[in-house]
Amino acid sequence: MQPFLDAISLGGTYALAALGLGLVFGVMRLVNFAHAELITISAYVIVVTNDLPLIVSFGIAALTAALLAILTELTIYRRLRGTGPAIMLIASFGLSVGLQKSFELIFGALPRSAAVAPWMTGSSEIAGLNITVSSIVTVGLTVAILLAMGFLVEQTNLGLQLRAAATDFKTSRLLGVRSNRLIGSAFAISGILAAFVGFILVVENPQVDPMFGLNITILALVGIVIGGISSLRGAALGGFIVGFILSILNTFLGNARVYAYSYLFLAVVIILLVRPGGLLSKGNEMERV
Amino acid sequence: MAILDVRDLKSGYGKVDVLFGISFTLEAGESLGIVGPNGAGKSTLLKTIAGEITTKSGEVNLQGASITGNKPEDIVRLGLSLVPEGRQIFSGLTVTENLMLGLTGRRDKSSAKAAVEQVKSLFPVLNTHADYQAGMLSGGQQQQLAIARALVADPKVLLLDEPSLGLAPTVIADVFSKLREITASGTSVVIVEQRAHLVTAFANKTLILRAGKIQASLTPESAKDEEGLRRAYFGANS
Repeated sequence: MQPFLDAISLGGTYALAALGLGLVFGVMRLVNFAHAELITISAYVIVVTNDLPLIVSFGIAALTAALLAILTELTIYRRLRGTGPAIMLIASFGLSVGLQKSFELIFGALPRSAAVAPWMTGSSEIAGLNITVSSIVTVGLTVAILLAMGFLVEQTNLGLQLRAAATDFKTSRLLGVRSNRLIGSAFAISGILAAFVGFILVVENPQVDPMFGLNITILALVGIVIGGISSLRGAALGGFIVGFILSILNTFLGNARVYAYSYLFLAVVIILLVRPGGLLSKGNEMERV
Repeated sequence: MAILDVRDLKSGYGKVDVLFGISFTLEAGESLGIVGPNGAGKSTLLKTIAGEITTKSGEVNLQGASITGNKPEDIVRLGLSLVPEGRQIFSGLTVTENLMLGLTGRRDKSSAKAAVEQVKSLFPVLNTHADYQAGMLSGGQQQQLAIARALVADPKVLLLDEPSLGLAPTVIADVFSKLREITASGTSVVIVEQRAHLVTAFANKTLILRAGKIQASLTPESAKDEEGLRRAYFGANS
């Protein structure tokens, strides 16, 4: 039961990371490598403000990540709109490295740590099974966020515009969708999602260094490719699949867990051979804003 | 005062110039056709007026106010909508969701529901297929959805880029019949087509565009001179 719950928990966390990336990709066709640093800054803020009540600490982290996301859009990505995809990609990679170095200057190269939500590190007995509190909270939190995101994307006007823009940004603008506002909203939401991911990760591993968010971001990108890069549902599904598979492999491979990534990427190759555009592909991945 | 006034408009893609000084006016409730061979700049003209392509020089005035250089999302709010070539409906969204998106560019939101009902009565198929995914509709139905989606924004001027593309002759006749109803209700229409006869029979006047310049302006009567039409369309040596 615990390994299965852990797999759902990790899958949900990866789904949140993938959803944040997918939102920005949807409106800008930008693979935002700097999403990793939004996760990292959230984790740093949570550690640094650990003395404050958790909800306040998380609120500051979410606000910081959202503002940083909007700032990167305003100062860098907005100016590069209309340039080639390669330029946008390199810019996001450069921004990612630049932010990592900035974190190193501000917080130091060594990990910063704090006991974040220590009450979550214990375990609880449910139906005769010993289950860690953190996995229960993480599963509950990710399910709640994914449901909230599902409501936002499927039931609200902003969500309708995000879905339309993810399909065809030019036509969306012709219909009146305000590009700057929509892109800004997507970046802000991706920042808030990154803060949730940062919180979940920092509870599990309270050692925050400048590259804290990098690993999950790269694997979430893999998840997006699996799920279908042009679909928000696909991004979340792909992220979940990657996290779930990775957790199960780590649990059941025993000493051979060093090969977990090899098996994961083998699964990715097989999925892409069968569905080159991803599981929920809509076939317009190459179009740009 | 003309509802749409285009003066000496020049535009293109990057360093490539496509339009070389286009001028015309359109009155309220009037229909204007634009025909010409491939590469004449017809779609570029509509995209430039709608703000999708940057104007290099010249001016576009809508109801007396300049919209030159405005963003497409602002232009639609000022009362000019474009139905793009190939319809560009959102095939993964339902018919209703497509219409809801069309309302984004509508200024008066209080009458939005009535506007949707109005286009559904103009295009009954959208009512019966409201919950269908738009991609499930036939080509003609998709074209009706694309026009309806533009209409719910309450445009004073409706631009249509090749609405007959890929449609069967009977469906084309139906689409043009609906366009006549739209112009009769007071909406001005600019329609780009490769099929000259469709447009000259529909529009109050038709411009022939070739190599980014207006070659001739035809009334429905003068368009009946097929030889003259062919010469203007293909050039003097054809």
